[in-house]
Amino acid sequence: MHRNNLLAIGAAALVSVGFVACGSDDKSSDSGSSTTAGASTPATLNGAGSTFAAPLYSEWGSKLKEQDITVNYQPVGSGAGIAQLAQGTVDFAGSDPSLTPEDVKTLTKGTPVQIPIAFGAITASYNVEGVEAGLKLDGAVLADIFLGTVKKWNDPAIAKLNDGVTLPDTAITVVHRSDSSGTTKGFTQFLAAYSPTWNDGPGVDKDIKWPVGTGAKGNDGVAAAVKQTDGAIGYVEQAYALQNNFTFADVKNKSGAFIAPTLESTTAAGAGIDVPKDLGISVIDSPNPEAYPIASQTFAISYDDLCKAGMSKANAAGYVAFLDYALGEGQNVAKELSYAPLPDDVKTPAQAAVDALTCNGAPAKG
Amino acid sequence: MEASAIKARLTAPLGERSGRARAADPAFKWLLTGLAALILVLIAFFFFFLAGKAEPAFSKFGVLGFIFDNDWNVSKSIYGALPLLVGTLITSVLALVIGVPVAVATALFVTEMCPARFKSPLTVLIELLAAVPSVVYGLWGIFVLVPFLKEPSQWFADTFDFLPFVGGTVAGPNYFIAGLILAIMILPIVSAISREVMATVPTDHKEAALALGATRWEMIKTAVLPYSRRGITGAAMLGLGRAIGETIAVVLVIGNSPTIGKQIFDQGYSLAAVIANEFGEAANDPLHSSALIAAGLVLFVLTLVVNALARWVVTRAEKKNGKAFTGSTITAQTPIATVVSES
Amino acid sequence: MSTTAILPTISKRRRRSDMIARGTLGFFTAIALVPLGLIIYYLLSKGLGAWSWDFFTTDPTGSFLGTQGGIKSAILGTLEMVALATIIAVPIGIGVAIYLVEFGQTSRFASIVRYFVDVMTGVPSIVFGLFIYTTLVVAGTGGSSFAGWKGSLALALLMLPVITRSGEVVLQLVPQSLREAALALGTPRWVVTMKVVVRTAIPGLVTGSLLAVARAMGETAPLLFTVAVVNGTTFNLNERMNSLPIQIFQDVGQANDQLVERAWGAALTLVVLILILTLVARLISRRSQFS
Repeated sequence: MHRNNLLAIGAAALVSVGFVACGSDDKSSDSGSSTTAGASTPATLNGAGSTFAAPLYSEWGSKLKEQDITVNYQPVGSGAGIAQLAQGTVDFAGSDPSLTPEDVKTLTKGTPVQIPIAFGAITASYNVEGVEAGLKLDGAVLADIFLGTVKKWNDPAIAKLNDGVTLPDTAITVVHRSDSSGTTKGFTQFLAAYSPTWNDGPGVDKDIKWPVGTGAKGNDGVAAAVKQTDGAIGYVEQAYALQNNFTFADVKNKSGAFIAPTLESTTAAGAGIDVPKDLGISVIDSPNPEAYPIASQTFAISYDDLCKAGMSKANAAGYVAFLDYALGEGQNVAKELSYAPLPDDVKTPAQAAVDALTCNGAPAKG
Repeated sequence: MEASAIKARLTAPLGERSGRARAADPAFKWLLTGLAALILVLIAFFFFFLAGKAEPAFSKFGVLGFIFDNDWNVSKSIYGALPLLVGTLITSVLALVIGVPVAVATALFVTEMCPARFKSPLTVLIELLAAVPSVVYGLWGIFVLVPFLKEPSQWFADTFDFLPFVGGTVAGPNYFIAGLILAIMILPIVSAISREVMATVPTDHKEAALALGATRWEMIKTAVLPYSRRGITGAAMLGLGRAIGETIAVVLVIGNSPTIGKQIFDQGYSLAAVIANEFGEAANDPLHSSALIAAGLVLFVLTLVVNALARWVVTRAEKKNGKAFTGSTITAQTPIATVVSES
Repeated sequence: MSTTAILPTISKRRRRSDMIARGTLGFFTAIALVPLGLIIYYLLSKGLGAWSWDFFTTDPTGSFLGTQGGIKSAILGTLEMVALATIIAVPIGIGVAIYLVEFGQTSRFASIVRYFVDVMTGVPSIVFGLFIYTTLVVAGTGGSSFAGWKGSLALALLMLPVITRSGEVVLQLVPQSLREAALALGTPRWVVTMKVVVRTAIPGLVTGSLLAVARAMGETAPLLFTVAVVNGTTFNLNERMNSLPIQIFQDVGQANDQLVERAWGAALTLVVLILILTLVARLISRRSQFS
């Protein structure tokens, strides 16, 4: 009796061990040299970071599979992405805010290179029974909502901006990020520009001390929380808002117009901006009269010498091919997800930076 | 074997036994002692390594400062863990307040009131709660409990807002839901241990009470409960220890707000939840990761203290009652909960 | 004179409080069963819908739009990592249990070990993950940062005290007379321990181990910072690996309905796996009760 039981369990254990032992599906095979432009050698890229850009990376990734490039992207938030890049556990980081001097200090495997890849809109999405899309909000009111001083949807501050709209007596549930987020930094940057109380209080950063509200992980988490709670408001990247049919606000921009987040208004936010040498652009609170004020840029960040930083030759070539695609055909794919393509005065220096990436001194391009 | 050979073997002086087989004895003993020592070394290493990594945070804020300052502000690099500690304690105490009476009630029901044929199935059912992993509790909590309880909680908050800590708006995840889920999670273990404790109540005590004309409930009140009180306290403390360390279910339903909420329906944070949420981004920031490890150390020490107290209480109860319980038998009837306790 | 005439009758008040109290106990017991019922109900109603052949045979796609894929890599990852954790934890755990019972009844050292094993059972699982992260992941031991085997180590640390504790209990149940009889026949000590004591206790040891395995399967926190998340299936334990609890944890906070459905399906799968293990454990222990 006992023996039979033991045999059965032993057999099961052996089978699972066999599973472990004989399968050696080694994905890290790479050939020494590649002659064609990065396309034929299989490459696997590990990235992590911004959930703002995660829809982009995932769509680009599925298109790049045809070129034998596998992109494993972990949407863990911009802060964690940079941390992982510094630790060497990923090949590239996705981050919405440009690199700060503190970030650069931690990235010690070489000179960090940030490539802007697209612009997106941070929507102020809400889930209030009876309130349609296009509620008009401005920076000061949004700041007061997120500070907790405006507590109900029918507060006079909101009603003042929305003549003729019936606002219910529902309590406002604020939803914010619980992880370190580039989207947070962009959103708080906007709030701080219009609310001195916000500027002096929680301030601008990827991870702040929120005075009120529920924390959720990732843009997707905030979206989920807003979806499930009546009366909720949260800041969510547009792709997530559209995917869930959210209602979002028309936000007052610097010129005084209430603008809805659309492909056009996001593109307008990126027009005519200053492009510093390290490509550290910012499109928040654009002065352009047609711009959506809470638009954000997002970067793919790695090092200048990819192989010295730890990538294999094939993966480095794959990364360059990936960036070439992102700045090329990928821009059209981005539009389908409502991310705005880069204007030429950003794209040209970006492409130049990509071309300058090296592998142990030689150009990384296959 | 032939009879004569057996006889020869049995009557041969023991010293003639194979020296080789004997030699294995000390080796065997040392191997096992080594394994046991490995555990000690592991735990010591564990503790000192974590303490070392936590040292930067402790030295910057002071040990007491780190634990009792009410300011967990990542962007300003200020790490005072009081909101986390308070959140951990609030949810755990809620779990006890809700869970222990129910657990003790089920234990009483099963041991004293249940018809014999239902005892086993009922026990199995309660233990099934222990088989559900923490992440599934979190999933269920978010999608079932939170929407389910939103209106009743709001009604409760509005009607009873004269009570301390009750009132305000019920948003979604909050201390109360976290406490409720923790209560469900500790139910199996508290119930199992209470059941074992009650099973050791001498039958003569019970029969004497009944013989004197007590009703069933009076018998329970006078014979069973006083006898089991210490053991039940021990069980409750073990449940507390578990609730304190629980991470995943809590992080999904507590609201992740690094402030001390004023009502039970506010959002909060816990030591374990903050580690789970912030570790990814802290990897690079030495002070932040040191602060998180320090939080982990505080958590570790807290569970250590609670579990040690629990064990002490239980051992004293065992001594007093003269019988050993808690995990003294592993049979098919033994609750899974005493052996498998998740955190 | 009949005895009933002598005994006082139970007053109405006492009878009432008895009924109320007993009713309350029954009511609370019913309340205790409500969550179980609700969990089972929702797991089945929301999870079964997700189950399909594709669900178990395709990997998560990780794409934002379009199909989300299944949970194949998660199931395989869990099986692999838990198998490795079992291989590590069971021999050591049972070894320590044998030590404590056979050689450590009176020694001070053994009681310290026993105390610390008990301490280990109370350690929150996230602290184990933290420990492995700071020692092995950051240092990049084995040439990789996040790796399946590091997750297995964290799980093994979790399983160890459970196996030792239950093993100790089972071994102590083996009658002393068996040991004495074997020793009296001149059998070397180690043979007595392995071939008599352990062999008798094997069903209990297997039960305890299986229960520890069931627990390890469901743990998320130790894996959070040791294996990271990956979508593809891999059999290389030196790489990042997906696992069921992590996959569920990831999918839980999502707005995408497909992902939520997948989370329920994965949750049901996990609970079913755990229940199968627990059932097998109970069957073994029931079949071989010797008390």
